[in-house]
Amino acid sequence: MTTTTVAGTKWRSHLRPQDLVATGTLGLRSRPGRTILTAIGIAIGIASMVAVLGISSSSKADLLAELDDLGTNLLQIRPGQSVFGDNAELPVDAEALLSRVATVTDIAAVTNLDTTVQRNQYDDTPNGLSVLAADQNLADTLEISTSAGRFLDPHDPVLPTVVLGSVAAERLGISHLDSGPEVTIAGRQFQVVGIADPLPLNPDIDRSVIIGDRAAQQLLGVDPNPTSIYLRVLPEQLEQTRPLLARTANPGSPNEVEVSRPSDALEARAAVDKNLQNLLLALGGVALVVGGVGIANVMVISVLERRGEIGVRRAIGATRGHIRAQFVIEAATLAAMGGILGAALGAAITWAYANRQGWTIDIPLEGLAAGVAAALAIGAIAGLYPAAKAARLDPAEAVRPHN
Amino acid sequence: MSPVLELENVTRTYPAEPPVHALINVDLCVEAGEMVAVVGPSGSGKSTLLNIMGTLDRPTSGVVRIDGTDTAELSDRRLSGLRSARLGFVFQGFHLLETVSALDNVATGLLYQGLPGRVRRRRALHALEQVGLGDRPDAKPSKLSGGQRQRIAIARAIVAEPALILADEPTGNLDTTIGDAILTLLQDLNAGGATIIVITHDHDIAARLSREVRMRDGRIETDRAVLTTGPGSP
Repeated sequence: MTTTTVAGTKWRSHLRPQDLVATGTLGLRSRPGRTILTAIGIAIGIASMVAVLGISSSSKADLLAELDDLGTNLLQIRPGQSVFGDNAELPVDAEALLSRVATVTDIAAVTNLDTTVQRNQYDDTPNGLSVLAADQNLADTLEISTSAGRFLDPHDPVLPTVVLGSVAAERLGISHLDSGPEVTIAGRQFQVVGIADPLPLNPDIDRSVIIGDRAAQQLLGVDPNPTSIYLRVLPEQLEQTRPLLARTANPGSPNEVEVSRPSDALEARAAVDKNLQNLLLALGGVALVVGGVGIANVMVISVLERRGEIGVRRAIGATRGHIRAQFVIEAATLAAMGGILGAALGAAITWAYANRQGWTIDIPLEGLAAGVAAALAIGAIAGLYPAAKAARLDPAEAVRPHN
Repeated sequence: MSPVLELENVTRTYPAEPPVHALINVDLCVEAGEMVAVVGPSGSGKSTLLNIMGTLDRPTSGVVRIDGTDTAELSDRRLSGLRSARLGFVFQGFHLLETVSALDNVATGLLYQGLPGRVRRRRALHALEQVGLGDRPDAKPSKLSGGQRQRIAIARAIVAEPALILADEPTGNLDTTIGDAILTLLQDLNAGGATIIVITHDHDIAARLSREVRMRDGRIETDRAVLTTGPGSP
């Protein structure tokens, strides 16, 4: 046994980093129950923040995947208003003019017949459904599929047949075609030949019944002006094509034409969620701060309880800095444990929720890392005051028995 | 060779209304190998004296030299380093880490010297053997008796082979038989070369030591060698 190290360092107190970490976590290891309960406070805050980020990110990923699937190259052309504020009309030949644009791949015109559809001639309850005249091109342009029956066929002879949008079918109480259901339009019976699947980009079509345009002309006698024209454009040419469309559809008064992109409405849903997300994040932040206060509280108690230990450590050579570091590390470790626990919990909540919704699971890694880092920072801050208190303790006072 | 401990004209006054003069013009010199009892009634200043000697408190005026070094000149880090290397403390309340083994408790005495863990534990085991607990290194303090706990505390105080061991009422929490054994242990360590100062209010203990410093009202009343008599003397 020698004391050469003493002479070598001329009595400088020195604590090896690994020993500092071990010393800083000793209090936590000594009281596992208290440690876990305190860490849970932080964990709840982190878990809620990670879950909010994860769930909104998964929902967004799902929406984007849906948009990808539906395509963002669908445009809709409707009549706007004239300079005098009257409702304008689209020219009769608008569809023919637009179909000449080279970048337009599919086009379909729709005319609102301005009449009502009922289950039978005795029913006159308002149901908010429209009656549209269209042709087979509509099915191609909007990529309409049917849950029962088929869409209108251009080779059909002119017959009183109709296809129901998904919402229209529901409101009319028709879910299958087995009994050969009919509906009444303008006093005439029409045979239902198909029920369309929901169209996320075109809720207006969901709320309509569709008659072939030749049938509409011959059976009901229709205004030939289209009320809406749908077109698909080459995706990479969309931005260049869009400004040309109004002038093409109505060369005389292009400002009486409205061009819109139905997928914009769906994308807006992602933006609307942002406010709610911020609110939830703020709530998670509050939980985190409460957790931090909990840590500070437990640390203050711990310092009071461990006065004797602090005094002895000072007596056996700990500097004030060593004591301070010990308690800051203890608080930060406590919070980091809570942070890791919370990040795992938040990821699990995201996973479970996204799974239930049938979404793509998207847990942002930077969110997890930020959560743990935030917990660590909160813990270190929460530990500063108790640690300073511990470091300031008068060692002579602290080792005195029974105080 | 300089004395292990020198106090020169040490005064310690606590600011209060009126100021409390805990120590007044105390001179004390302890040579290597001595075993000194500091006795006196409570309030006589012996606790303050212990804190000053242990550098846990600084005097209002006067000089404290440990191993020839004036402690007034030292920073917190160097003073802490001095305590770590040159002073050993035995407290009345033991102050052990309850969840840590006897061996690791003793090894804590070397923690702030920056020694590797295996060196600390090897020396701790040696210290445990010196206090008669070499067979219980893994025992938790909570499973041990008061006498055994005080032995662990003594092992922690001697593990760094300090120049001076300060024991504050080392038998205060123990019954007479166990207390006697602890005192005998301290005397054995002294016989092995350790310099020890024992603070006590118990005159029987003081009577067993070779030198007795008697405190009263913040002053040293008497400082004399006593004849070693009594049942426990070597």
